[in-house]
Amino acid sequence: MARGLGNITKMDPAELKMLKTRIDITTAIMVALIAILVVRLWHLQIRKGTEYAQLSENNRTRIQYIAAPRGNVLDRNGEIIIANRPLFNVVWIREDAPHPDEVLKQLAKILKLDISVLLDRIRAGADHPRYLPTRLKENIDWETLIAIENNAYRLPGVQVEVVPSRDYLYGEMASHLLGYLGEINQQELDANKDGTYMPGDLIGKGGIEKLFDRYLRGEKGQSFMEVDVRGFVQKRLKAQEAVPGNDLQLTVDIGLQEAAETAMGDRAGAVVAMEVNTGRILALTSLPALPLHEFSGGIPGNVWQQLLNDIKTPLINKPIQGQYPPGSTYKIVTALAGLSEKVITPDTTFFCSGSINFGNRSYGCWKKGGHGAVSLHRALAESCDVYFYQVGQKLGPDVIARYANSLGLGIKSGITLENEKAGNIPTTAWKLKRFKEPWQDGETFSIAIGQGFDLATPLQICRMTAAIANGGTLYRPQFIAAVKDSSGAFVSQFKPVVDGTSLGSPRTMQIIRDGLAGAVNEPHGTATTAKLENVIVAGKTGTAQVVRLAQYQATSESKVPYKYRDHAWFTCFAPFDKPQIVVTVLVEHGGHGGSAAAPVAKAVLTRYFEMHPPEVVPAEPAAPPATP
Amino acid sequence: MLRFDRRLLQNVDWVLVGGVLLVTLMALLNLYSATRLNNAVGLSAFFKQLYFNLMGFGLILLIVMVDYKTLITLSYPLYILGLLMLVVAMVFGETVAGSQRWIDLGFFRLQPSEPAKLILVIMLASYYYRKDTGKGFTLGELFVPIILTLIPFVLILKQPDLGTALMCLFVFASMTLFVKLRWSTFGILAGAALAALPVIWKLLKPYQRQRIEIFLNPESDPLGSGYHITQSKIAVGSGLKFGKGYLHGTQGQLDFLPERHTDFAFSVWAEEWGFFGSLLFMACYFFVLLWGLNIAVTARDKFGMLLAFGIVALLFWQAFVNLAMIMGLLPVVGVPLPLFSYGGSSLLTNLAGIGLLINIRMRRFMVAT
Repeated sequence: MARGLGNITKMDPAELKMLKTRIDITTAIMVALIAILVVRLWHLQIRKGTEYAQLSENNRTRIQYIAAPRGNVLDRNGEIIIANRPLFNVVWIREDAPHPDEVLKQLAKILKLDISVLLDRIRAGADHPRYLPTRLKENIDWETLIAIENNAYRLPGVQVEVVPSRDYLYGEMASHLLGYLGEINQQELDANKDGTYMPGDLIGKGGIEKLFDRYLRGEKGQSFMEVDVRGFVQKRLKAQEAVPGNDLQLTVDIGLQEAAETAMGDRAGAVVAMEVNTGRILALTSLPALPLHEFSGGIPGNVWQQLLNDIKTPLINKPIQGQYPPGSTYKIVTALAGLSEKVITPDTTFFCSGSINFGNRSYGCWKKGGHGAVSLHRALAESCDVYFYQVGQKLGPDVIARYANSLGLGIKSGITLENEKAGNIPTTAWKLKRFKEPWQDGETFSIAIGQGFDLATPLQICRMTAAIANGGTLYRPQFIAAVKDSSGAFVSQFKPVVDGTSLGSPRTMQIIRDGLAGAVNEPHGTATTAKLENVIVAGKTGTAQVVRLAQYQATSESKVPYKYRDHAWFTCFAPFDKPQIVVTVLVEHGGHGGSAAAPVAKAVLTRYFEMHPPEVVPAEPAAPPATP
Repeated sequence: MLRFDRRLLQNVDWVLVGGVLLVTLMALLNLYSATRLNNAVGLSAFFKQLYFNLMGFGLILLIVMVDYKTLITLSYPLYILGLLMLVVAMVFGETVAGSQRWIDLGFFRLQPSEPAKLILVIMLASYYYRKDTGKGFTLGELFVPIILTLIPFVLILKQPDLGTALMCLFVFASMTLFVKLRWSTFGILAGAALAALPVIWKLLKPYQRQRIEIFLNPESDPLGSGYHITQSKIAVGSGLKFGKGYLHGTQGQLDFLPERHTDFAFSVWAEEWGFFGSLLFMACYFFVLLWGLNIAVTARDKFGMLLAFGIVALLFWQAFVNLAMIMGLLPVVGVPLPLFSYGGSSLLTNLAGIGLLINIRMRRFMVAT
């Protein structure tokens, strides 16, 4: 065999030459192809090298944002109302999820959710960058957290994020004022293009959480992590600490707030307490409260629907958005206008027979039997309608409106809370414009006692009462005492703002204050239920008619359907001789002011004077002369 | 027959041996970096490859002892054996990632398409050597080599392994062009090849077609099939001039690079050693191949020349397609870089080829038999 192989034909020189040429050609082709590779290598590594280096850097580094602790909210005494606690959310990072379908199937099982719920969330976040987390489920419990952490290696793309969440130490107290947090939505993102906010951030959705979001939120920290292709962190490269948000100190005294809400019980309505001589809000209550604990991390649709349909309208912030006929509290305005315009003197008397005829109609007094001959003092103390019908008729709607406006009615108070309503104080011009009809004289009767077209918010009535109490100064209602950074230094501090002075002389105010003191302290007064042992309280009740239905005229209040019952008002200040605090209460569909609203005010005042015993209260340095 | 003339030892081509040793050492170095953090493969891959290297050099020793001319008579039995292995793989083979490519031998999973390529080279070399009349091949005379090529081509394509199958065609084309063809034959063959393109396109599996489409427009699917190309280009490009340093390539170490110990091994090298390191590697690598061409030129006889040429063509086409793929010049077809990518069958086959080159070189001078 081997021998045979030895006889292999040798190549003839011509053929050898040809084949050698072909090897040379082959060499040339190979070298050319190698040159292409080298040029390509140069192109990738030298020419475009920095570009690819950047891409590889982006591949491996992931910025993890560190949530900044949100500022606390304190009451005026430094009592913490809102603090933070950790909340665990399940998030989805698309960039790290090579097999979304399988992972989501598993995750849905762990979360006990339908996979479509997860897919909807992912779709909603489809426009955001791939490396930013999309929330799949908020506020998971401990067992779920453990289940996810234990299966982390089977769930690439799924992470648990820890976010500080709000802890409402007083439950639902002052819920409308405080507001709540929620995940930032597209409109909010579009409105804040400066980079402060990112998809997935929590942002204040109402109340001070929204208004002061930029103070409270602080600055996020950043942690640069090296991750592998599945997004698992390998090591931390560098970090930048988060800057905690500023604390917010309210003017609200949480003790008074508590007293107000406790006294209101499950009734709907509003309580406003304010410092007479500064405009500082001491309590601002809207009931029913918002279920803040259910809001943390998105409001469930059914809860929202329930809130919308509730006849007690929990979504309306009643002290500033609820507009009610002021009822007899408005007699303060009519009295001020009557005295100032000299259509009456304190001694002017009218006879109340229980009703008065005008044109072909009879206008009744709430006291069917009549008050007999009444002067201004008794008219205020006992709330005689017939007296004020006649004062109002002498004044006319436009004059009354001037005085009402000067006391802050019909105009917004300027409180910085959202969607404040202005109420309504009618004039003849307004009626003509609004209804294309001239003013009817009979309508003056109604508006003189705060019915008809008159509308006011509880905050406006409170501010009006404060102006009467302090001699005519209209302060802007404010609720922020101070903004402090995390070291406790002041970022900004409260300063009282005077918005104007009401019409009417100090003497006139004193006459009215006397009448209001009578209402609380005299035997026939309408508000004796607000009387205190150690402090003289002065106030005015009111009953705002919702509808006047003949069929319910004779029936007792409790038989009238809830939504047709009258609103009960009471507004007061104390102490009578040196007013410090004004309290206004509105009980929706609560019936009479004296029986329904005044006891609430009494509870607030009692609490206030427990904390500020009348003997030892030093005079407020900023106080203008309270009495002439 | 197995009497080994000691004088042949003096003719061992130490330059080639040295070059190949250098390349395989770089391959091991790179394999360590590519797999040390990979939980699925781990260091066992490194040691396996080390053993295969030792086995491969043993195989070279075995090969050089036998005169390469023996292959002329052994070519048909070898060819039949090669086809048999392919058929066994097809019928009984293990399916891995959708391809039926492996025969489990217990200690070793053989991928018969690797030796099949080398066997095809031997088959074609001996066929052309025996049939050459010096007047140039006619189309009729090419019928047999075409069939000899198409059988393994189709068997491998069916596995499916497009890259390896294509290598059979490349080898056939290179060797056929190297021997003397009639111009008419050349024209007809070229025409037929062009006409076959649409047919081949139809025969491709959807994923294979998709790969080619994505290659033409990689941005269309950066995280799907285009992912491999994109990540490989990032790895290579980010190496810059001097690389990120051995064991410090982020694309490789952090798993962004797929298949980084097999088909994409050179991406790891380029990332960690940069432009100059890559140039150094390519210089060594292609020096070996060009040296192989020199062995062809200096071969004692035409069979040796054809065989050496075919082996170099086989190694070169694989290397070129692999590197071009890694650098984003060609679609992802799954061709390893010979002597460098991880894989026992491939390494043993290629070292056997190197053994044949040494064999041919060693016997270039007539030694008395």
